Amino acid sequence: MKLLNHPIDMIAIFEIGGKIVPFKFKYEDKPVKVGKIVKQYREKLAGNERIVFVCMNNGKDLYELKYELDSQKWFLFKK
Amino acid sequence: MFDDIISYTDIVLKEGFFMVKQKVVMHIDVNSAFLSWHAAYNQQIGIEEDIMGKPCVIGGNEKKRHGIVLAKSIPAKKLGIKTGQSLMEARLQCPDLKIIMPRYDIYVRASRKLRDMLREYTPKVEVFSIDECFMDLTGTELINGDAVHLAYQIKERIKTEFGYTVNIGISENKLLAKQASEFEKPDKVHTLYVAELKSKLWPLPVGELFMVGRRTEIKLNNIGINTIGQLANADRNMLSGLLKSHGRLIYDYARGIDCSTFSTEESIPFKGVGNGSTIPFDVEDSLTAHKILLSLVETASKRLRDEDLSCRVVAVGIKDKSFGYMTHQKKLSYFTNCTYDLYEAVQDLFDEAWDRQPIRHMNVRFTDLEKTKIKQLNFFQNQYSVKMEKLDCAIDHIREKYGKYAIIRGGYIDSGLSPILGGYPDDDYPDMRSIL
Repeated sequence: MKLLNHPIDMIAIFEIGGKIVPFKFKYEDKPVKVGKIVKQYREKLAGNERIVFVCMNNGKDLYELKYELDSQKWFLFKK
Repeated sequence: MFDDIISYTDIVLKEGFFMVKQKVVMHIDVNSAFLSWHAAYNQQIGIEEDIMGKPCVIGGNEKKRHGIVLAKSIPAKKLGIKTGQSLMEARLQCPDLKIIMPRYDIYVRASRKLRDMLREYTPKVEVFSIDECFMDLTGTELINGDAVHLAYQIKERIKTEFGYTVNIGISENKLLAKQASEFEKPDKVHTLYVAELKSKLWPLPVGELFMVGRRTEIKLNNIGINTIGQLANADRNMLSGLLKSHGRLIYDYARGIDCSTFSTEESIPFKGVGNGSTIPFDVEDSLTAHKILLSLVETASKRLRDEDLSCRVVAVGIKDKSFGYMTHQKKLSYFTNCTYDLYEAVQDLFDEAWDRQPIRHMNVRFTDLEKTKIKQLNFFQNQYSVKMEKLDCAIDHIREKYGKYAIIRGGYIDSGLSPILGGYPDDDYPDMRSIL
Protein backbone atom coordinates (compact mmCIF):
# COMPACT_ATOMS: atom_id res chain seq x y z
CA MET A 1 0.00 0.00 0.00
CA LYS A 2 1.13 3.55 -0.77
CA LEU A 3 0.94 6.43 1.75
CA LEU A 4 -1.23 9.28 0.46
CA ASN A 5 -2.96 11.24 3.26
CA HIS A 6 -5.20 12.97 0.67
CA PRO A 7 -8.18 14.96 2.01
CA ILE A 8 -11.35 13.58 0.36
CA ASP A 9 -15.07 14.36 0.02
CA MET A 10 -16.98 11.70 1.92
CA ILE A 11 -20.56 10.62 2.49
CA ALA A 12 -20.73 8.83 5.83
CA ILE A 13 -23.46 7.50 8.11
CA PHE A 14 -23.47 8.89 11.64
CA GLU A 15 -25.54 6.24 13.44
CA ILE A 16 -27.86 6.93 16.39
CA GLY A 17 -25.50 5.11 18.74
CA GLY A 18 -22.60 7.37 17.77
CA LYS A 19 -20.92 4.99 15.37
CA ILE A 20 -19.46 6.50 12.20
CA VAL A 21 -19.60 4.42 9.02
CA PRO A 22 -17.92 5.69 5.82
CA PHE A 23 -20.20 5.07 2.84
CA LYS A 24 -18.96 6.66 -0.38
CA PHE A 25 -16.07 8.99 -1.26
CA LYS A 26 -14.69 10.83 -4.26
CA TYR A 27 -11.23 9.90 -5.48
CA GLU A 28 -9.75 11.42 -8.65
CA ASP A 29 -13.26 12.70 -9.49
CA LYS A 30 -14.71 9.20 -9.41
CA PRO A 31 -17.12 7.97 -6.73
CA VAL A 32 -15.90 4.97 -4.78
CA LYS A 33 -18.31 2.98 -2.62
CA VAL A 34 -16.74 1.74 0.60
CA GLY A 35 -16.81 -2.05 0.68
CA LYS A 36 -16.17 -4.09 3.80
CA ILE A 37 -14.70 -2.43 6.92
CA VAL A 38 -12.08 -4.95 8.01
CA LYS A 39 -10.81 -3.11 11.08
CA GLN A 40 -11.55 0.11 12.93
CA TYR A 41 -9.50 1.79 15.68
CA ARG A 42 -8.57 5.18 17.11
CA GLU A 43 -5.13 6.72 17.03
CA LYS A 44 -4.00 9.75 19.05
CA LEU A 45 -0.49 10.40 17.77
CA ALA A 46 0.86 13.70 19.17
CA GLY A 47 -2.62 14.17 20.68
CA ASN A 48 -4.32 14.42 17.27
CA GLU A 49 -7.28 12.06 17.34
CA ARG A 50 -8.22 10.15 14.17
CA ILE A 51 -10.54 7.19 13.62
CA VAL A 52 -8.88 4.72 11.27
CA PHE A 53 -10.96 2.49 8.99
CA VAL A 54 -9.16 -0.33 7.20
CA CYS A 55 -11.46 -1.16 4.27
CA MET A 56 -11.54 -3.70 1.48
CA ASN A 57 -13.19 -3.53 -1.95
CA ASN A 58 -13.71 -6.44 -4.34
CA GLY A 59 -12.45 -8.86 -1.70
CA LYS A 60 -8.79 -7.91 -2.30
CA ASP A 61 -8.13 -4.13 -2.59
CA LEU A 62 -7.15 -2.92 0.88
CA TYR A 63 -7.06 0.80 1.75
CA GLU A 64 -7.19 3.03 4.82
CA LEU A 65 -9.56 5.91 5.51
CA LYS A 66 -9.07 8.30 8.43
CA TYR A 67 -11.52 10.70 10.05
CA GLU A 68 -9.85 13.54 11.98
CA LEU A 69 -11.98 14.59 14.95
CA ASP A 70 -10.58 18.10 15.52
CA SER A 71 -10.77 19.29 11.92
CA GLN A 72 -13.71 16.99 10.94
CA LYS A 73 -11.89 16.06 7.74
CA TRP A 74 -11.70 12.71 5.96
CA PHE A 75 -8.45 11.40 4.48
CA LEU A 76 -7.60 8.58 2.13
CA PHE A 77 -4.47 7.54 3.98
CA LYS A 78 -3.21 4.41 2.26
CA LYS A 79 -4.15 2.83 -1.02
CA MET B 1 22.19 13.91 59.03
CA PHE B 2 18.68 14.49 57.72
CA ASP B 3 17.27 15.68 61.03
CA ASP B 4 16.70 19.19 59.84
CA ILE B 5 15.33 18.22 56.46
CA ILE B 6 11.58 18.68 56.48
CA SER B 7 9.68 16.94 53.75
CA TYR B 8 6.35 18.29 52.66
CA THR B 9 3.80 15.97 54.19
CA ASP B 10 0.13 15.64 55.01
CA ILE B 11 -1.15 14.61 58.40
CA VAL B 12 -4.02 12.13 58.42
CA LEU B 13 -6.14 10.64 61.18
CA LYS B 14 -5.83 6.85 61.14
CA GLU B 15 -7.16 4.48 63.81
CA GLY B 16 -7.38 7.32 66.31
CA PHE B 17 -3.79 8.50 65.73
CA PHE B 18 -2.40 11.32 63.69
CA MET B 19 -0.17 9.77 61.06
CA VAL B 20 2.19 11.47 58.65
CA LYS B 21 1.20 10.66 55.10
CA GLN B 22 3.92 10.83 52.52
CA LYS B 23 3.22 13.02 49.53
CA VAL B 24 3.64 11.53 46.07
CA VAL B 25 4.52 13.99 43.33
CA MET B 26 5.41 13.11 39.75
CA HIS B 27 7.10 15.32 37.19
CA ILE B 28 6.47 14.47 33.55
CA ASP B 29 8.93 15.82 31.02
CA VAL B 30 8.56 15.18 27.28
CA ASN B 31 11.89 14.17 25.70
CA SER B 32 12.96 16.64 22.94
CA ALA B 33 9.36 17.88 23.03
CA PHE B 34 8.95 19.90 19.84
CA LEU B 35 10.88 17.37 17.81
CA SER B 36 9.13 14.26 19.11
CA TRP B 37 5.70 15.87 18.73
CA HIS B 38 6.62 16.83 15.19
CA ALA B 39 7.84 13.29 14.48
CA ALA B 40 4.65 11.73 15.90
CA TYR B 41 2.52 14.09 13.83
CA ASN B 42 4.56 13.33 10.70
CA GLN B 43 4.00 9.65 11.32
CA GLN B 44 0.27 10.26 11.50
CA ILE B 45 0.05 12.21 8.28
CA GLY B 46 2.16 9.66 6.47
CA ILE B 47 5.54 11.40 6.21
CA GLU B 48 7.97 8.55 6.54
CA GLU B 49 11.14 10.61 7.05
CA ASP B 50 12.84 9.82 10.36
CA ILE B 51 13.61 13.21 11.92
CA MET B 52 14.60 11.81 15.31
CA GLY B 53 17.36 9.56 13.99
CA LYS B 54 19.40 12.18 12.12
CA PRO B 55 20.82 15.65 12.87
CA CYS B 56 17.73 17.78 12.84
CA VAL B 57 16.52 20.92 14.64
CA ILE B 58 13.29 22.84 15.01
CA GLY B 59 14.10 26.48 14.35
CA GLY B 60 12.67 29.77 13.23
CA ASN B 61 12.77 31.52 9.91
CA GLU B 62 16.33 32.27 8.78
CA LYS B 63 15.24 34.80 6.17
CA LYS B 64 13.46 36.90 8.78
CA ARG B 65 16.51 36.41 11.06
CA HIS B 66 14.33 34.65 13.65
CA GLY B 67 16.85 31.86 13.47
CA ILE B 68 17.52 30.07 16.71
CA VAL B 69 17.47 26.38 17.58
CA LEU B 70 14.30 25.65 19.58
CA ALA B 71 14.75 21.88 19.86
CA LYS B 72 17.30 19.38 18.63
CA SER B 73 17.44 15.65 17.91
CA ILE B 74 19.82 13.41 19.85
CA PRO B 75 22.23 13.01 16.85
CA ALA B 76 22.27 16.84 16.57
CA LYS B 77 23.05 17.10 20.29
CA LYS B 78 26.00 14.72 19.80
CA LEU B 79 27.39 17.12 17.19
CA GLY B 80 27.39 19.85 19.84
CA ILE B 81 24.32 21.78 18.72
CA LYS B 82 22.71 23.60 21.61
CA THR B 83 19.21 24.95 22.18
CA GLY B 84 19.18 28.73 21.78
CA GLN B 85 22.13 28.75 19.36
CA SER B 86 21.67 30.61 16.08
CA LEU B 87 20.78 28.50 13.03
CA MET B 88 23.81 29.88 11.21
CA GLU B 89 26.18 28.60 13.90
CA ALA B 90 24.38 25.27 13.95
CA ARG B 91 24.73 24.95 10.20
CA LEU B 92 28.47 25.63 10.45
CA GLN B 93 28.79 22.77 12.92
CA CYS B 94 26.77 20.42 10.76
CA PRO B 95 26.41 21.37 7.06
CA ASP B 96 23.73 18.74 6.29
CA LEU B 97 21.58 19.72 9.26
CA LYS B 98 17.84 19.52 8.61
CA ILE B 99 15.91 22.56 9.83
CA ILE B 100 12.15 22.29 10.37
CA MET B 101 9.85 25.28 10.85
CA PRO B 102 7.97 25.11 14.16
CA ARG B 103 4.26 24.22 14.15
CA TYR B 104 2.97 25.64 17.43
CA ASP B 105 -0.58 24.45 16.80
CA ILE B 106 0.61 20.82 16.87
CA TYR B 107 2.68 21.37 20.00
CA VAL B 108 -0.08 23.16 21.91
CA ARG B 109 -2.59 20.41 21.06
CA ALA B 110 -0.13 17.63 22.00
CA SER B 111 0.60 19.34 25.32
CA ARG B 112 -3.08 19.83 26.12
CA LYS B 113 -4.02 16.24 25.25
CA LEU B 114 -1.19 14.95 27.43
CA ARG B 115 -2.52 16.91 30.41
CA ASP B 116 -6.07 15.66 29.70
CA MET B 117 -4.76 12.11 29.84
CA LEU B 118 -2.87 12.72 33.09
CA ARG B 119 -6.04 14.11 34.68
CA GLU B 120 -7.54 10.61 34.38
CA TYR B 121 -5.19 9.62 37.23
CA THR B 122 -5.50 12.69 39.45
CA PRO B 123 -7.29 16.04 39.22
CA LYS B 124 -4.18 17.76 40.57
CA VAL B 125 -2.13 18.36 37.42
CA GLU B 126 -0.04 21.52 37.31
CA VAL B 127 1.32 23.00 34.09
CA PHE B 128 4.96 23.97 34.40
CA SER B 129 5.71 24.68 30.75
CA ILE B 130 4.54 23.43 27.38
CA ASP B 131 6.39 20.12 27.81
CA GLU B 132 6.49 19.69 31.57
CA CYS B 133 3.88 19.16 34.22
CA PHE B 134 3.50 17.97 37.79
CA MET B 135 0.97 15.48 39.18
CA ASP B 136 0.06 15.28 42.85
CA LEU B 137 -0.89 11.65 43.48
CA THR B 138 -1.09 11.84 47.27
CA GLY B 139 -4.02 9.80 48.52
CA THR B 140 -4.66 7.99 45.24
CA GLU B 141 -2.67 4.87 46.17
CA LEU B 142 -5.79 2.72 46.53
CA ILE B 143 -6.93 3.64 43.02
CA ASN B 144 -3.63 3.94 41.20
CA GLY B 145 -1.43 1.56 43.16
CA ASP B 146 2.30 1.89 43.65
CA ALA B 147 3.78 5.13 42.26
CA VAL B 148 6.70 3.55 40.40
CA HIS B 149 4.45 0.95 38.81
CA LEU B 150 2.01 3.72 37.83
CA ALA B 151 4.81 5.84 36.36
CA TYR B 152 5.88 2.98 34.09
CA GLN B 153 2.25 2.46 33.11
CA ILE B 154 1.81 6.17 32.22
CA LYS B 155 5.11 6.25 30.32
CA GLU B 156 4.18 3.21 28.22
CA ARG B 157 0.68 4.54 27.61
CA ILE B 158 2.06 7.84 26.29
CA LYS B 159 4.45 5.92 24.04
CA THR B 160 1.78 3.67 22.50
CA GLU B 161 -1.09 6.16 22.37
CA PHE B 162 0.65 9.42 21.55
CA GLY B 163 3.80 8.11 19.89
CA TYR B 164 6.51 9.92 21.90
CA THR B 165 8.61 9.28 25.00
CA VAL B 166 8.70 11.00 28.38
CA ASN B 167 10.84 11.01 31.50
CA ILE B 168 9.04 10.68 34.81
CA GLY B 169 10.49 11.71 38.17
CA ILE B 170 8.84 10.59 41.41
CA SER B 171 9.36 12.16 44.80
CA GLU B 172 7.61 13.84 47.69
CA ASN B 173 7.82 17.43 46.49
CA LYS B 174 7.89 19.23 43.18
CA LEU B 175 11.55 20.18 43.31
CA LEU B 176 12.85 16.65 43.87
CA ALA B 177 10.42 15.20 41.31
CA LYS B 178 11.78 17.65 38.74
CA GLN B 179 15.39 16.85 39.63
CA ALA B 180 14.58 13.12 39.34
CA SER B 181 13.15 13.42 35.84
CA GLU B 182 16.38 15.14 34.70
CA PHE B 183 18.63 12.23 35.67
CA GLU B 184 18.97 10.06 32.59
CA LYS B 185 17.09 10.50 29.35
CA PRO B 186 15.15 9.44 27.33
CA ASP B 187 12.21 7.19 28.21
CA LYS B 188 13.10 6.59 31.87
CA VAL B 189 11.44 6.60 35.30
CA HIS B 190 13.52 7.81 38.29
CA THR B 191 12.77 8.26 41.98
CA LEU B 192 14.41 10.78 44.28
CA TYR B 193 13.04 10.58 47.81
CA VAL B 194 14.61 12.59 50.63
CA ALA B 195 16.37 9.45 51.86
CA GLU B 196 18.02 9.07 48.43
CA LEU B 197 19.35 12.64 48.30
CA LYS B 198 22.84 11.77 49.45
CA SER B 199 23.40 8.99 46.96
CA LYS B 200 21.56 10.35 43.93
CA LEU B 201 21.57 14.16 44.03
CA TRP B 202 24.54 15.25 46.11
CA PRO B 203 27.32 13.85 43.88
CA LEU B 204 26.07 15.85 40.86
CA PRO B 205 27.71 19.13 39.76
CA VAL B 206 26.09 22.16 41.38
CA GLY B 207 24.96 23.49 37.98
CA GLU B 208 22.51 20.58 37.72
CA LEU B 209 20.43 21.94 40.59
CA PHE B 210 17.21 23.74 39.69
CA MET B 211 17.65 27.55 39.85
CA VAL B 212 21.45 27.37 39.67
CA GLY B 213 22.28 29.00 36.37
CA ARG B 214 25.58 29.53 34.63
CA ARG B 215 26.48 32.69 36.56
CA THR B 216 25.55 31.34 39.98
CA GLU B 217 27.52 28.20 39.17
CA ILE B 218 30.66 30.27 38.53
CA LYS B 219 30.18 32.20 41.81
CA LEU B 220 29.74 28.94 43.72
CA ASN B 221 32.74 27.31 42.04
CA ASN B 222 34.86 30.31 43.03
CA ILE B 223 34.16 29.65 46.70
CA GLY B 224 34.92 25.94 46.32
CA ILE B 225 31.38 24.60 45.93
CA ASN B 226 31.39 22.22 43.00
CA THR B 227 28.77 19.62 43.87
CA ILE B 228 25.21 19.83 45.17
CA GLY B 229 26.36 17.97 48.30
CA GLN B 230 28.94 20.68 49.03
CA LEU B 231 26.22 23.31 48.64
CA ALA B 232 23.91 21.42 51.01
CA ASN B 233 26.66 21.26 53.64
CA ALA B 234 27.84 24.85 53.20
CA ASP B 235 27.05 27.59 55.70
CA ARG B 236 23.61 29.05 55.06
CA ASN B 237 24.55 32.49 56.37
CA MET B 238 27.60 32.62 54.15
CA LEU B 239 25.47 31.78 51.10
CA SER B 240 22.91 34.33 52.19
CA GLY B 241 25.66 36.96 52.35
CA LEU B 242 26.97 36.02 48.92
CA LEU B 243 23.76 35.51 46.96
CA LYS B 244 21.09 37.06 49.22
CA SER B 245 17.66 35.38 49.13
CA HIS B 246 18.65 33.32 46.09
CA GLY B 247 21.48 31.81 48.17
CA ARG B 248 19.03 30.71 50.85
CA LEU B 249 16.71 29.29 48.21
CA ILE B 250 19.35 27.12 46.51
CA TYR B 251 20.68 25.99 49.90
CA ASP B 252 17.19 24.73 50.76
CA TYR B 253 16.84 23.17 47.32
CA ALA B 254 20.13 21.31 47.72
CA ARG B 255 18.71 19.81 50.91
CA GLY B 256 15.49 18.83 49.13
CA ILE B 257 13.37 21.42 50.93
CA ASP B 258 10.59 22.83 48.81
CA CYS B 259 7.33 24.00 50.35
CA SER B 260 5.67 25.15 47.13
CA THR B 261 2.01 24.36 46.72
CA PHE B 262 0.07 22.93 43.81
CA SER B 263 -1.81 25.13 41.39
CA THR B 264 -4.21 23.33 39.08
CA GLU B 265 -5.01 26.40 37.03
CA GLU B 266 -4.25 26.22 33.34
CA SER B 267 -2.96 29.78 33.24
CA ILE B 268 0.42 30.56 34.73
CA PRO B 269 0.93 33.45 37.18
CA PHE B 270 3.72 35.71 36.04
CA LYS B 271 6.07 38.26 37.55
CA GLY B 272 6.65 40.34 34.46
CA VAL B 273 5.53 40.86 30.90
CA GLY B 274 8.04 41.11 28.12
CA ASN B 275 8.03 41.29 24.38
CA GLY B 276 10.86 41.35 21.91
CA SER B 277 11.58 40.86 18.27
CA THR B 278 14.51 40.44 15.93
CA ILE B 279 14.04 42.91 13.11
CA PRO B 280 14.51 41.66 9.53
CA PHE B 281 16.92 44.58 8.82
CA ASP B 282 19.37 46.64 10.91
CA VAL B 283 17.74 49.75 12.41
CA GLU B 284 19.87 52.86 12.11
CA ASP B 285 17.53 55.78 12.83
CA SER B 286 15.67 56.54 16.02
CA LEU B 287 12.34 57.22 14.29
CA THR B 288 12.14 53.62 13.02
CA ALA B 289 13.37 52.34 16.37
CA HIS B 290 10.62 54.27 18.18
CA LYS B 291 7.99 52.80 15.87
CA ILE B 292 9.27 49.29 16.56
CA LEU B 293 9.24 49.96 20.29
CA LEU B 294 5.64 51.17 20.07
CA SER B 295 4.60 48.01 18.23
CA LEU B 296 6.27 45.93 20.97
CA VAL B 297 4.57 47.96 23.71
CA GLU B 298 1.18 47.49 21.99
CA THR B 299 1.34 43.71 22.49
CA ALA B 300 2.90 43.77 25.96
CA SER B 301 0.57 46.43 27.40
CA LYS B 302 -2.46 44.58 26.01
CA ARG B 303 -1.27 41.51 27.87
CA LEU B 304 -1.07 43.53 31.11
CA ARG B 305 -4.58 44.86 30.59
CA ASP B 306 -5.92 41.36 29.81
CA GLU B 307 -4.65 40.16 33.17
CA ASP B 308 -5.88 43.31 34.93
CA LEU B 309 -2.34 44.21 36.00
CA SER B 310 -0.34 47.42 36.07
CA CYS B 311 3.42 47.80 36.22
CA ARG B 312 5.88 50.22 37.72
CA VAL B 313 9.26 49.13 36.37
CA VAL B 314 9.94 49.54 32.67
CA ALA B 315 12.98 48.10 30.90
CA VAL B 316 14.27 48.16 27.37
CA GLY B 317 16.86 45.81 25.81
CA ILE B 318 18.88 46.53 22.67
CA LYS B 319 21.02 44.05 20.75
CA ASP B 320 23.25 45.59 18.08
CA LYS B 321 24.39 43.95 14.88
CA SER B 322 27.58 42.65 16.47
CA PHE B 323 25.42 40.91 19.11
CA GLY B 324 26.37 43.32 21.91
CA TYR B 325 23.44 43.47 24.30
CA MET B 326 22.49 46.15 26.78
CA THR B 327 19.48 46.86 28.95
CA HIS B 328 18.25 49.99 30.66
CA GLN B 329 15.42 50.26 33.15
CA LYS B 330 13.65 52.73 35.38
CA LYS B 331 11.03 52.82 38.06
CA LEU B 332 8.03 55.04 37.42
CA SER B 333 6.41 57.01 40.20
CA TYR B 334 3.04 55.38 39.41
CA PHE B 335 1.55 52.06 38.29
CA THR B 336 0.23 51.97 34.75
CA ASN B 337 -0.84 49.70 31.92
CA CYS B 338 -1.61 52.46 29.45
CA THR B 339 0.07 51.93 26.05
CA TYR B 340 0.95 55.59 25.63
CA ASP B 341 2.44 56.07 29.13
CA LEU B 342 4.51 52.93 28.78
CA TYR B 343 5.62 53.88 25.30
CA GLU B 344 6.79 57.29 26.51
CA ALA B 345 8.81 55.68 29.30
CA VAL B 346 10.30 53.10 26.93
CA GLN B 347 11.13 55.79 24.38
CA ASP B 348 12.98 57.88 27.03
CA LEU B 349 14.93 54.84 28.17
CA PHE B 350 15.84 53.97 24.60
CA ASP B 351 17.04 57.50 23.81
CA GLU B 352 19.21 57.47 26.93
CA ALA B 353 20.69 54.06 26.26
CA TRP B 354 21.19 53.81 22.51
CA ASP B 355 24.78 54.34 21.31
CA ARG B 356 23.74 54.70 17.60
CA GLN B 357 25.02 51.24 16.69
CA PRO B 358 22.77 49.53 14.09
CA ILE B 359 20.14 47.51 16.00
CA ARG B 360 19.32 43.88 15.33
CA HIS B 361 16.93 43.09 18.16
CA MET B 362 14.85 45.08 20.65
CA ASN B 363 12.78 44.09 23.61
CA VAL B 364 10.69 45.73 26.29
CA ARG B 365 9.86 44.36 29.72
CA PHE B 366 7.40 45.46 32.40
CA THR B 367 7.83 44.25 35.97
CA ASP B 368 6.81 45.08 39.55
CA LEU B 369 3.22 44.20 38.77
CA GLU B 370 0.15 44.97 40.80
CA LYS B 371 -3.56 44.27 40.34
CA THR B 372 -5.34 47.29 38.87
CA LYS B 373 -8.09 47.80 41.42
CA ILE B 374 -7.63 51.14 43.05
CA LYS B 375 -5.55 53.73 41.28
CA GLN B 376 -3.64 56.57 42.82
CA LEU B 377 -3.75 59.52 40.45
CA ASN B 378 -0.44 61.23 40.01
CA PHE B 379 0.55 64.85 39.43
CA PHE B 380 3.57 63.88 37.37
CA GLN B 381 1.76 61.56 35.01
CA ASN B 382 0.68 62.66 31.57
CA GLN B 383 -2.36 64.92 31.97
CA TYR B 384 -4.23 63.02 29.28
CA SER B 385 -3.63 59.61 30.84
CA VAL B 386 -7.25 59.03 31.91
CA LYS B 387 -8.36 59.75 28.36
CA MET B 388 -5.56 57.57 27.03
CA GLU B 389 -6.74 54.67 29.16
CA LYS B 390 -10.24 55.04 27.75
CA LEU B 391 -8.73 55.07 24.28
CA ASP B 392 -6.81 51.85 25.06
CA CYS B 393 -10.01 50.23 26.23
CA ALA B 394 -11.83 51.22 23.03
CA ILE B 395 -8.94 50.02 20.83
CA ASP B 396 -8.82 46.69 22.69
CA HIS B 397 -12.55 46.19 22.14
CA ILE B 398 -12.27 46.93 18.41
CA ARG B 399 -9.31 44.57 18.04
CA GLU B 400 -11.06 41.79 19.94
CA LYS B 401 -14.14 42.10 17.80
CA TYR B 402 -12.67 42.72 14.34
CA GLY B 403 -9.13 41.35 14.52
CA LYS B 404 -5.88 42.85 15.75
CA TYR B 405 -5.15 44.80 12.56
CA ALA B 406 -8.65 46.33 12.41
CA ILE B 407 -7.32 49.54 13.95
CA ILE B 408 -3.68 50.63 13.70
CA ARG B 409 -1.73 53.80 14.37
CA GLY B 410 -1.35 56.15 11.42
CA GLY B 411 2.43 56.30 11.69
CA TYR B 412 2.73 52.76 10.37
CA ILE B 413 1.02 53.43 7.04
CA ASP B 414 3.50 52.88 4.21
CA SER B 415 6.34 52.40 6.71
CA GLY B 416 6.76 48.71 5.92
CA LEU B 417 6.76 48.00 9.66
CA SER B 418 4.32 45.83 11.51
CA PRO B 419 2.03 47.90 13.79
CA ILE B 420 1.84 45.08 16.33
CA LEU B 421 4.92 42.99 16.99
CA GLY B 422 5.83 39.93 18.96
CA GLY B 423 3.73 37.65 21.10
CA TYR B 424 3.37 33.95 20.60
CA PRO B 425 2.02 32.55 17.37
CA ASP B 426 -0.67 30.90 19.45
CA ASP B 427 -2.34 32.69 22.35
CA ASP B 428 -2.66 29.44 24.24
CA TYR B 429 1.04 28.72 24.12
CA PRO B 430 2.07 28.32 27.76
CA ASP B 431 4.97 30.34 29.06
CA MET B 432 8.11 28.86 30.58
CA ARG B 433 8.27 29.06 34.35
CA SER B 434 11.04 29.34 36.83
CA ILE B 435 8.87 29.34 39.94
CA LEU B 436 7.89 26.00 41.43
